[in-house]
Amino acid sequence: MTSKILHLIGGDADIGTSKTFWIGFVIAVILFALYPTQVSEFRASNVSYYLLNIPLALGMALLWGYCGVLSFGHVAYFGIAGYTYGIIAGNMAGNSFGPIAGVLGGLLASALVAGIFAYFVFYSRVREWIIPILTLVLTLLLETFLGQTAGYQWRVGSVLLGGYNGMTGIPAFQIGSFVFMGYSFYYFCMVIVLACYVGLRMLLNSKFGQVVTAIREDPLRTEIFGYDIRARQWLVFVLSALLAAISGLLYVQWGNYITPSQVGLLSAALPVIWAAVGGRTSLLAVLIATIVLNWVTFTLSSQGNQYAMVIIGAALVITMLFFPRGIVIMLAEWIGKVTNRKNSGAAT
Amino acid sequence: MANQFALEARKVNKHFGGVVAANNVDLKIEPGELRCIIGPNGAGKSTLFSLLCGIQRVDSGEIFIQGHDVTHMQPFKRVRHGIGLTFQTNRAYQELSVKHNLLVPNPSFAISKETHQQGRERYMLALEEFGLDQNDDTPASEIPHHTLQWLEISMVLAGFPELVLIDEPTAGMSRDETDHTSMVLKKLNQSGLTIIVVEHDMHFVKNVAQKVTVLHQGRVFTEGSLDEVIANDEVKNIYLGHAH
Repeated sequence: MTSKILHLIGGDADIGTSKTFWIGFVIAVILFALYPTQVSEFRASNVSYYLLNIPLALGMALLWGYCGVLSFGHVAYFGIAGYTYGIIAGNMAGNSFGPIAGVLGGLLASALVAGIFAYFVFYSRVREWIIPILTLVLTLLLETFLGQTAGYQWRVGSVLLGGYNGMTGIPAFQIGSFVFMGYSFYYFCMVIVLACYVGLRMLLNSKFGQVVTAIREDPLRTEIFGYDIRARQWLVFVLSALLAAISGLLYVQWGNYITPSQVGLLSAALPVIWAAVGGRTSLLAVLIATIVLNWVTFTLSSQGNQYAMVIIGAALVITMLFFPRGIVIMLAEWIGKVTNRKNSGAAT
Repeated sequence: MANQFALEARKVNKHFGGVVAANNVDLKIEPGELRCIIGPNGAGKSTLFSLLCGIQRVDSGEIFIQGHDVTHMQPFKRVRHGIGLTFQTNRAYQELSVKHNLLVPNPSFAISKETHQQGRERYMLALEEFGLDQNDDTPASEIPHHTLQWLEISMVLAGFPELVLIDEPTAGMSRDETDHTSMVLKKLNQSGLTIIVVEHDMHFVKNVAQKVTVLHQGRVFTEGSLDEVIANDEVKNIYLGHAH
């Protein structure tokens, strides 16, 4: 049983299967765990922001990298979860179960919208290249709708939707009387990211994951092995929407606000860029790229630098021209080659 | 309604614009048969396979697999009645390892316990004869063309089908590789597997054929033993005349 689980985690669905890799992985996790003890709560909170975007990015890797379906509008599910959490937890302010109800409501709302949308897309066998456009349209519709919700008439219970200024005063997450903020929120994010990464690695190393990868390579060939590929694409789409929803929930719990621009064009492009720059066919590569690119944009824009998005755009162009399979993946392959050569050199 | 055929097509029609790809095609395949379908380019051989598997829908007519009416079924459901298909252009998963390729097909779609056992034996036979290793980590893109053809046949057998449609298995193979392919297919057929092969290579057809169907312009032109078909002057005219 244990060995089966270890096999699922360590399988070759993602880069990094050697012992050296796993030692490095554990060291990295320990370093991340020790980081808050060395820095201020403010710095730790900034890193929480890089971490909370990772589930969304992993969802992109799952859907686009492993299943071959590009969504240009997964931030819609990020936004739906964030707003739903704000409405539920805001209305239940003072009740310690409010945030948990908000989390459940947010996940459910995102899964519901994603489920209905994906049903029409996959069961009508929409052509592959149309899907990015449809998903983008959905999120832009959502942005437009939310943008005109300014004014007192747009409220749900006691919570104002807030138009372009967005929803404010969203409660932090809490279990019982323990409120996740600052350092504790950092660890909360870290545990969730780790669970998402390990869980996805297990999923993709399973039979289900192998079939999903086969659908990416050749949908028709896979269908003629007897698989209802529509059902699998649907499930992967909903799963990736749930991952986006997790990021959306963490985002509003972190910043206590959300605006329609979170589901706008610029925000919609970012997860696609993180996945492309890192290398969408590897969970780990996307995870690393998400941390690095968020660190770059966050640091630059908090210094008042106007060029953050230009730099992110340039990273995408450089990736497409010189590292078509992703910078992190190609770097990892290069490291693998060099160490192999050293090892075989030492043996002879 | 039930019938005794492994596969039956009744008055199947299909046209694309003005091009008639299938014109009242009737085809009856007995269980355990090894049938060759030949015909000049554009005779509708591959289209017929697409229609049988449901990749394309018939304009009119009916299709039965093992007695089940599958005319209006999605492709994946037809497969679950025990049919397998290899494509005219090889469609093994190029970017995935040989191991991963062989893991994708799912024998649990096969119908009964009995077919499971037979299916496993046939699959193991194919792996052995084709020299394929289930644990081979080599990407499919790095193996030779003829092995890739053998891989796709093995992948189809990994789903434990009762009936396989094989589209031009020996295209691009050397004489030795072609002979080996025909030998393995004959062995599989002897184990009870029903096989329908579309093939251009007359050497291969001579090697394996029990019964031959000649398609021409979407119609079944003639059907019979290889000798009968070859002796037919009109077949010489349409087939050998055009193709060579």
